[in-house]
Amino acid sequence: MPREILPGLHWFYEPGPDRTEMVTGDGDGPDWYDPDGDVYIPQCAYLFEGDDETLLFDTLSPASREEILSDVEAALDGRDLDYLVISHPDVPHAGNAMALLDAYPEAELVAPRYGNDHELYHLDDALHVGEGDSIDLGGFVLDFHEATFLDAPVSVWMSERTNDMLLPVDWMGYPHAEHEMLSFVDELDHDLDLGRLLQFHGRVLFWHQYVDVEKVQREIDWLVDHYDPEWILPAHGLVVRENPTEYMDLMKDVVAEINERDRIGILG
Amino acid sequence: MTRHVTDDVQWLTVCYPHEDAHEHVSVYLIEHDGSYILVDSGSFHHEEQLAAAIEEATDGAGIDAIILSHSDYPHSGNISEFREEWDDVELVASSGSPEIQGLSDARRCIIGEDLDVLGRTFNFIDPPLADRSHTTWIRDSESGVLFTADGFGNYHAPGECEQLSSEFEDAVPEQAVYEFHRDNLVWLQYVDPDKLRTALDEIFDDHDVSAIAPIHGNPTLAEDVPVALDRLERAAARIAEEYDVPTVEDA
Repeated sequence: MPREILPGLHWFYEPGPDRTEMVTGDGDGPDWYDPDGDVYIPQCAYLFEGDDETLLFDTLSPASREEILSDVEAALDGRDLDYLVISHPDVPHAGNAMALLDAYPEAELVAPRYGNDHELYHLDDALHVGEGDSIDLGGFVLDFHEATFLDAPVSVWMSERTNDMLLPVDWMGYPHAEHEMLSFVDELDHDLDLGRLLQFHGRVLFWHQYVDVEKVQREIDWLVDHYDPEWILPAHGLVVRENPTEYMDLMKDVVAEINERDRIGILG
Repeated sequence: MTRHVTDDVQWLTVCYPHEDAHEHVSVYLIEHDGSYILVDSGSFHHEEQLAAAIEEATDGAGIDAIILSHSDYPHSGNISEFREEWDDVELVASSGSPEIQGLSDARRCIIGEDLDVLGRTFNFIDPPLADRSHTTWIRDSESGVLFTADGFGNYHAPGECEQLSSEFEDAVPEQAVYEFHRDNLVWLQYVDPDKLRTALDEIFDDHDVSAIAPIHGNPTLAEDVPVALDRLERAAARIAEEYDVPTVEDA
């Protein structure tokens, strides 16, 4: 199920299972919760169609294999896929890489240069990218970065230079109501707040329980200053196109909150 | 390539080279009343070696269940192949979204709870040393072996591939523990070592552990556990000390 964010930039979305129990617990749920619908923490992938070349960032999970293949085909509308970028080799991100490479055998597989276990993920022959590497598609220019907050050591973040977009992969994820699916955050009736961000990061980046909070908060300050994006395109949330640095800044409170709690659950 | 950690727990040790050192990508085999339970399935890289080791260790019977620590490919890479090789192999996994993780028919184990697998009780423990959200540490309640997935890993020298901690001159070296965790649990660059140690101590206070059984390291036997904990804490502290957050002026 896609949405075209900008001309030539397609957002592919996989809702995954219903996460209602995660956000309601024993109570009524947060203000954004709609009892008439499900709750999702999605997987997202992004297709950039440049003037000259095309690039897909991540592949969704194997549960959406047919959907991602048909959505990419429809979006490309006869064009070739030139690059398939794997942010990190976890199943919900890389689970359809082989199927996509089978469908687009001319596409170049692009993988993080970080970590040292590439051969265990079939990534040893990929084009390895990291800080300082770029791919110019014509119109869209993708820059690669060492991932700051991550799970797998073989990870990379990406930004898009022309539109000041940051793709922080497993950072800045959060749940949303079914009726909010494929909305931009500025289109929501309820704001993206600490509670939503906590539900995701308290599970996926659970290790914030054991960190020096002040050190992580300084890192977030640096990210805000360094990237200062106009857009955030997360792998597990909705696209942010207004005031993204406010939400990045909010992550400092999220980290402090996780650090005060026991493990709130798991995801994945 | 097969070592007994306890009478009924065997380490099927396989590894691959990282420059001058090696990294284990092992699995463990538990025998229980004539059945065999595999902890993790290893990497596709070692499929043939592991299948042959299982055949030999089980006298041709094969495995009856796989308990998965997490779905990362070096741990889950041979699930389909082994379930095709041997009939009726039950899969147990902590994932709450098995279809998203490619584990659609897994029986779920809940982290923080116990589960009976083929008549044997396993404790599923929230791991302070992990990177994926659904990672579980697995304690075999009968043997007391604690399977720690990515935690307590270490690189090793080429001649140390099949050594237990007691066969090193002074247990598993701290430098090897440091290097592995630096490279693989990247978040440790932000760790508060005291918080980590407190969480680890709680686990070891609550459970009798006869051996620490990492997937990516040499097993540590009970007598070496205290020194392993101290070395891990110091390694984590060193990783954090060596990482400076860039200043805003550097941006």
